Amino acid sequence: MSLETSQLNELHWLMEMLYNIDVGLVVLDKDYKVQLFNGFMENHSGLLPKEVKDESLFDLFTEIPQEWFERKAESVFLLKNKAFTIWEQRPYLFKFESYRPVTGSTDFMYQNTTFMPLLSSTGIVTHLCLLVYDVTDNAMNKISLEKANEELAILSQTDA
Amino acid sequence: MSTKLLICDDSNMARKQLARSLPDGWDVDVSFAANGIECIAAIKAGKGDILLLDLNMPEMDGYQVLEAILQQDLPTLTIVVSGDIQPEAHKRVTGLGALDFIKKPVNKEKLTDVLLSYGVFTKDESNVEIEPKSQNEQPDENISRVNEEAAKKEDETPLKISPISISSPPRKPELTLSTDLRDCYQEIANVAMGRAGDLLARLLNVFVELPIPNVNFIEVSELRMALKDVEANESTSGICQGFISAGISGEALLILNDSSFKDVASLMNYQYQEDKGTELELLMDLANVLIGACLKGVSEQLDIDFSQGHPVVLGQHRKISELIANNADKWKKTLAIEISYSIENYPIKCDLLLLFTEQSMQTLNNKLSYLLD
Repeated sequence: MSLETSQLNELHWLMEMLYNIDVGLVVLDKDYKVQLFNGFMENHSGLLPKEVKDESLFDLFTEIPQEWFERKAESVFLLKNKAFTIWEQRPYLFKFESYRPVTGSTDFMYQNTTFMPLLSSTGIVTHLCLLVYDVTDNAMNKISLEKANEELAILSQTDA
Repeated sequence: MSTKLLICDDSNMARKQLARSLPDGWDVDVSFAANGIECIAAIKAGKGDILLLDLNMPEMDGYQVLEAILQQDLPTLTIVVSGDIQPEAHKRVTGLGALDFIKKPVNKEKLTDVLLSYGVFTKDESNVEIEPKSQNEQPDENISRVNEEAAKKEDETPLKISPISISSPPRKPELTLSTDLRDCYQEIANVAMGRAGDLLARLLNVFVELPIPNVNFIEVSELRMALKDVEANESTSGICQGFISAGISGEALLILNDSSFKDVASLMNYQYQEDKGTELELLMDLANVLIGACLKGVSEQLDIDFSQGHPVVLGQHRKISELIANNADKWKKTLAIEISYSIENYPIKCDLLLLFTEQSMQTLNNKLSYLLD
């Protein structure tokens, strides 16, 4: 097999992997228009890639507060740093249903996200990549743990 | 007559690095000073026609040196070489009479350019000395002497570490931190911290006071005691973020005094509601900037790429000792680099602790021994 064909294969595999991986991948340009949407995002949001390409993120997902998001993204563009959000700070970025709609105890998916700057070949930041992780299990466990601790604290102070 | 050059920096490694970055074939007499007081004394003794000055030093820092030079009208041309690269710092030093400001880490070309542009060093001198370094004559003698010292030091350091690790395989090797290595870590922390401070300064539009980073190889129990001192009566909130790279892993802890929240919020133009949500947002933003920049600074100097985990909230409005209590029995020793940021004119104090695991020390030392040469 020629070098080009094998390189093309590798590229094809990479695309397949990125599409199927169980993490949300969104690429935005400087105007917050969606450039890339992977399988995770597609399936959880119910939107097809061709419906979202070049659409503004805030039009597609009205639950995202524009000012807060822009401020976070600006610091990534400016400082070329990664930025993180955790579920304790904001339960979700995108309002998706949880993975366990029948047996799960929450309506929505808890998410951790990472904002990553994408540099062009000239070294300036032209695009922003959003990684969305599903942390519903972690979150539920921690919340029930804290609830249990609170109840214990109350019980330990009152006489049974 | 050769020019008298004075290099003033508290870090041994930085002094050596500067000496090695001097342009070739320059007819110069190099002397060293480890803090501001020694520096002024050396200038008065006539050893400093040109001064390469660091800003962060104990006893008397760079700013105080510049002030003293102005007040006493000392005959010296100052070029500031520092890891503190905030725009405000640049303004202040040029306002205090410095010729120029060079960012650390320094390289030969940059230094040569600056020296050429101020007419302090002319290219003719460099063309004269084409002979190889081994046949060095008077002018380069001082510099070559410095290089020899540096080479000798490098021979010493690996010797300190290798016998210890070969000695007894069944028993885990005891790692110690030689002064050279500690100096090296301090310098790396200095540059990384300067970078983080610069980003914070630009974001908040303030002047960030950068202290001297505190580097220590300590036991876990010592860590808890040290932190207990920090917050005798106050409660604090903390965020930690793990990072890992080939052979090097650790955590970055950001600890912010609860009393500082309001001020930081106003600086960042947050609508401050005294609820846990806003405070958490604030912590996260600070953590993103400071930890991200610091780690980037370290990774650039060591030429490695870190993977960062998601930040975890250690606790809000809790005592620090509680924050670390859980993992106390897992690891015994850690390399701790402590940087306390404070912002001028605001009662804001936040502590950044970079903790490297014991296992990372080996890789770190290897990387640094190549920097020390």
